[in-house]
Amino acid sequence: MDAFFNINFLTELLLSTIRMATPILFVALAETYSERAGLVNIGLDGIMSFGALIGFLIGYKTGSPTVGILAGALSGIAINMVYAFCTIHLCAPQIVYGMAINIFAPALASFIYRLSFSDTSTLIQGVSMKALPIPVLSSIPVLGPLFFNHIPLVYFAYLLVPATAVFFNRTKAGLNFKAVGEFPKAAETLGINVIFQKYLACIICGALAGVGGAYLTICYTSTYSEGIVAGRGFIALSAVIFGRWMPSGVLLACLLFGFCDALQIRLQLLSPSTPYQLLQMIPYLCTLFVLAFFGIRKSGPKANGQPYYREER
Amino acid sequence: MKQKENLMKVIVPVLSILVAFIIGGIIIICLGKNPFQAYGFLFSGAFGSSRKIAQTLVIACPLIFTGLTAAFSYKCGVFNLGGEGQFVMGAVASIFFVTKSGIGGIAGILLSLLVGAAAGAVWGAIPGILKITRGLNEMIVSIMLNYVATLFMGYVYTTLLRDGSVPQTFAIPDSTKLSVISKSFPVHWGVWIALFLAFAGYYFLYYTSKGFKLRAVGLNSTAAFFNGFPVNRYVLFSFIASGAVAGLGGSVELHGKQLRLMGGFGQGFGFDGVAIALIAQLNPIGTAAVAFIFAVLRKGASTLQTGMQIPTAVVDIIQALVIIFAVAGTALLKLPAIRQYINSHMGKKEVTN
Repeated sequence: MDAFFNINFLTELLLSTIRMATPILFVALAETYSERAGLVNIGLDGIMSFGALIGFLIGYKTGSPTVGILAGALSGIAINMVYAFCTIHLCAPQIVYGMAINIFAPALASFIYRLSFSDTSTLIQGVSMKALPIPVLSSIPVLGPLFFNHIPLVYFAYLLVPATAVFFNRTKAGLNFKAVGEFPKAAETLGINVIFQKYLACIICGALAGVGGAYLTICYTSTYSEGIVAGRGFIALSAVIFGRWMPSGVLLACLLFGFCDALQIRLQLLSPSTPYQLLQMIPYLCTLFVLAFFGIRKSGPKANGQPYYREER
Repeated sequence: MKQKENLMKVIVPVLSILVAFIIGGIIIICLGKNPFQAYGFLFSGAFGSSRKIAQTLVIACPLIFTGLTAAFSYKCGVFNLGGEGQFVMGAVASIFFVTKSGIGGIAGILLSLLVGAAAGAVWGAIPGILKITRGLNEMIVSIMLNYVATLFMGYVYTTLLRDGSVPQTFAIPDSTKLSVISKSFPVHWGVWIALFLAFAGYYFLYYTSKGFKLRAVGLNSTAAFFNGFPVNRYVLFSFIASGAVAGLGGSVELHGKQLRLMGGFGQGFGFDGVAIALIAQLNPIGTAAVAFIFAVLRKGASTLQTGMQIPTAVVDIIQALVIIFAVAGTALLKLPAIRQYINSHMGKKEVTN
């Protein structure tokens, strides 16, 4: 048990919490934008796996992690446009279509991967993003390496939280956006273009979820394998519920799930005799327990998940 | 009107499958291969001989079970995405039962199948109970339970019931194998159980009052509640029943085909089942039919790979396209404008007749 209370162990644990929470945070924020406009998108896992592959592939071909991340975002938007068209214009049931994306996107990703690298037996090493220490701040002992010595994408994810909060609560555009998720008919009579806002939500959602996926292959492992997403999209979904659809709450939920993930990895290193499968269950079980004790019945946007028929009276 | 709607329910999936095959053909052309030859390989791989047809049926068997799981819960308006976890837990419970109890023969098989179904039912009941008592989203809970179940199975085959140095469990005793019907058509009894369940499910949903109430809860739970239907009881029942079907499927797969647990057991069957049920418009008999088509694709995929060097992932794409089109097609027909068009078209025909 000595090792557990070691200061090094704790900093390592917190550091990896911040790193592991980042992809979940991206995707949970993506879902927050989507659900605030009344679109429940359970296809996040699929979008992530597609973003993970395209990000990896473009990063590998161009040699630039930044281009890879951007490509991940664009591919996320592209996949999410299928969802957007079918749920907004065809009014397809959102849950069903999200599920369709979950099946379609990973299949497409593995197809492209096999076409690009015909030999699938060797792991191909892609690019990885370099850390960008913030001058002065990163030299503070303990806190410096913990908070100010990360790759740029991590800073971006955490800056996105206050930015989203300001957008939703302090800007007119944000209030219009939220109105679409609460009561689209009233929003339409006030001259808000509901269809446009919903598409905007899908673009933001796709981009952020794609980046969340690309983070996994460019910043976390720098290799691609099938099933790399491992249900993070669904964990992000529960983070949105647990965080009560508010950016600050979502951040706390993501940090908690990131902590579980980090703890699980540290414990595997610490006690190799414990079967690793039992430790790997921790993030999933934690999600279940947190939801069971703190999940609430109904507090999301009022028109969440409902199709919007414009012509219907 | 009703007939027209029923006709559409058949036309949409059939058209989706056709369009997906055409796009698949275009992809094959882009890979520089002949699509007709490829589809020839695909179908000869699945239907070439009675032995191959039997193999296709055996592949379809678990897909029918997980497809029915999805169809049965969605009919009650709840999204049980945990088919894979329930399937895996059924198989895990069964292997524990047959290796620890030592009961062999027919009694062993029947008890083991029951144990598997019970384990699946318990695993399926968890999201149901959490949904009713805590109002939790059943999709997230059932997905999380999938990962827990798969990891638990990993623990079983690497630690608890490990057979020597290979990470897999002991094989089930010979006397508890599901026997095949004939040597020339080697289909095990599990396939007949699956087909029986499909018909029984159809009968239950459309020809019994309980099935009607279950569908009513699925269509509009508020209306069903005010009509005095015990909504929560039906929701829980649909979770338990669909979990039991998946658990039974896992048990059948263990006794009929895999004979032991190892990495990858049941992988992807849950989501494939969801896709199959959605393409079949949640009709149990249709689910069995679509599961068979999926099995044809899976069986043919390996022939395609060895015969023409076309990656098996092409088949995954075709499967995924089918669901994209089927769901979009169904939604398209429900749009007010399209509905009006169909109805007015119908009206004209009736006048001319």
